[in-house]
Amino acid sequence: MAENPYLPVEAKIEKIIDETSNIKTFVLKPSRKIKFETGQFVQLTIPGIGEAPFTPSSSPYQTEKIEITIMKVGLLTGKLHEMREGEIIGIRGSYGQGYPFDDFYNKEVLVLGGGVGMAPLRSLLLTLLKNVDKFRRIVLCYGAKTPEDIVYKDAFPEWKKKRKLEILRSVDKAAPGWEETEGLVTVLLDKVKMDLRNSVAVVCGPPIMMKFGTLKLLDLGYKPENIYLSMEKNMSCGLGKCGHCALGKYYVCKDGPVFKYDLIKDVPDIWL
Amino acid sequence: MKFYINRTDWGKFLGQISKTYRIYAPQEIANELAYQLLAPENVAQTIYGTYRAVQPFKTFFSLPQEKVTVVTSQPEKTIVLGVKNCDLKALQILDKIFLEGDFVDPFYRERRENTLIISSDCYQPKDTCFCTLLDNNPFPEKDFDLNVSPIDNGFLLEVGSPKGESFIASIREDLKEATSDLIEEKENKRKEAKKRVVEVNREFETKRPFSAIVKDEYASPVWEEVTKTCVECGACTNICPSCYCFLLVDTENGGKFPKVKFWDSCQHTGFARVAADVNPRAKLYERLRNRYLCKYEYRPENFGIVACTGCGRCVEACQGKIDKREVIKKLSEKEEK
Repeated sequence: MAENPYLPVEAKIEKIIDETSNIKTFVLKPSRKIKFETGQFVQLTIPGIGEAPFTPSSSPYQTEKIEITIMKVGLLTGKLHEMREGEIIGIRGSYGQGYPFDDFYNKEVLVLGGGVGMAPLRSLLLTLLKNVDKFRRIVLCYGAKTPEDIVYKDAFPEWKKKRKLEILRSVDKAAPGWEETEGLVTVLLDKVKMDLRNSVAVVCGPPIMMKFGTLKLLDLGYKPENIYLSMEKNMSCGLGKCGHCALGKYYVCKDGPVFKYDLIKDVPDIWL
Repeated sequence: MKFYINRTDWGKFLGQISKTYRIYAPQEIANELAYQLLAPENVAQTIYGTYRAVQPFKTFFSLPQEKVTVVTSQPEKTIVLGVKNCDLKALQILDKIFLEGDFVDPFYRERRENTLIISSDCYQPKDTCFCTLLDNNPFPEKDFDLNVSPIDNGFLLEVGSPKGESFIASIREDLKEATSDLIEEKENKRKEAKKRVVEVNREFETKRPFSAIVKDEYASPVWEEVTKTCVECGACTNICPSCYCFLLVDTENGGKFPKVKFWDSCQHTGFARVAADVNPRAKLYERLRNRYLCKYEYRPENFGIVACTGCGRCVEACQGKIDKREVIKKLSEKEEK
């Protein structure tokens, strides 16, 4: 029989990093190398519990280990949060279409992220930084609910030192000591001046933020074909067969998860 | 090339063949036709030229429930007899999904490769049949290994593939080429059958094609109205020969990461639900509408094939008496009145 695409391989949880009160980053060492491109996803399995799709947050250039940042929202993610270092889970993939970096060359890249949506964007950022000379400028606008809800807290001071990278952050609700912006992440877009004739925007976050983020970008003058969205849909097989992730005529697992906005803008109710 | 074979010789041949193949054929059960495994002595009782079986043909290739992380056994060589054109057309969709793209479903492929399809003409369509509304015919013209058209006291055989060719190799020399009279008789029977389906569906004819209606009438209140009697049982998707959606379920036993693949239904509440209970199609009418869009708009855009063949099984299976033809007619009326 040909290769069985439904079968995961073992992955050892090497390390668990607490990001916030309900977000953890899992450092996984798969028994077989799992290659991925930034923006592609993998399926994680806990035997007897279930399986769900996650986009790695680590650099695709780091091939021995994969880091995945996970918020506790349901049954599977709840179980994952209870697991300890050294335990084994299943992994299969990678699947889908990642970010088309060729389209970003020689352009200003605006990265708009919200909450745990920063996970794939961290991988994106690491890839952009690795090839920084190919891009004109990188601007990250990141929003979280409160300062405590910001992920990768330790990474930001390092990133702030990087050449060509500008970072703006906002929180919906500030706390003592917060000296950056207070307000929804979209307010950050008023503070940056991008060269619209030569810029692409990448958006990833909760559905409501994706919607208003995209609408704001359109308002600012971004063309639909220059906006890249990471769409979240229910996925079961990840192989373009089971039908769960249907978005109009597309299957997000196969045709996405990264979509140019102009491709899906006419699909009804895409923001739900 | 078309051949004629009389009933006795065909029966003898199948009896012989049934020693190496498992043969499934339509048998009458509780006033319906159902595919049953044939014992060699029952081969003669196969029913050919009536209408499609109650089970969708997909059950032979995509099982309702199947362990997919352990390979259990090699599928046996199988023949399915009496498959109707509506089911052959539906199989095109399943082939696109399971055999094409970056990943092949190895379980589907093994069964598909080990199955010989002997289709037959449909001379007694049911009142629920509507293949002609979708530009299909109640008789197969391709996608079979062998087609049988019951005629006189025997059958016209048509070979449709190399697999079918080698299947009849052992009796090839004894087969008589069909006379033009017999071929004409068959054509007449086919025309009659088609006429019957057209007549049954006269009241459901629309000016615009189904694809245009479901797309143009996206915002119509009719969707909500027709969904009122839906009880979300999933019968329409289970019984549909071209519905292929499934769910992978992680179980406790069997191998390292035991997964079972179950048929799933897009009509169920949680089908598209994502993390934190966000549901893109939370309302039942939104799910029903999406199913029609899938059938008549999305899959044709993907594959150039309409994913509804007019077999009418969903019309019969629906507990809420939702008849697809009526739904589309109602949707179309606003514009066409």
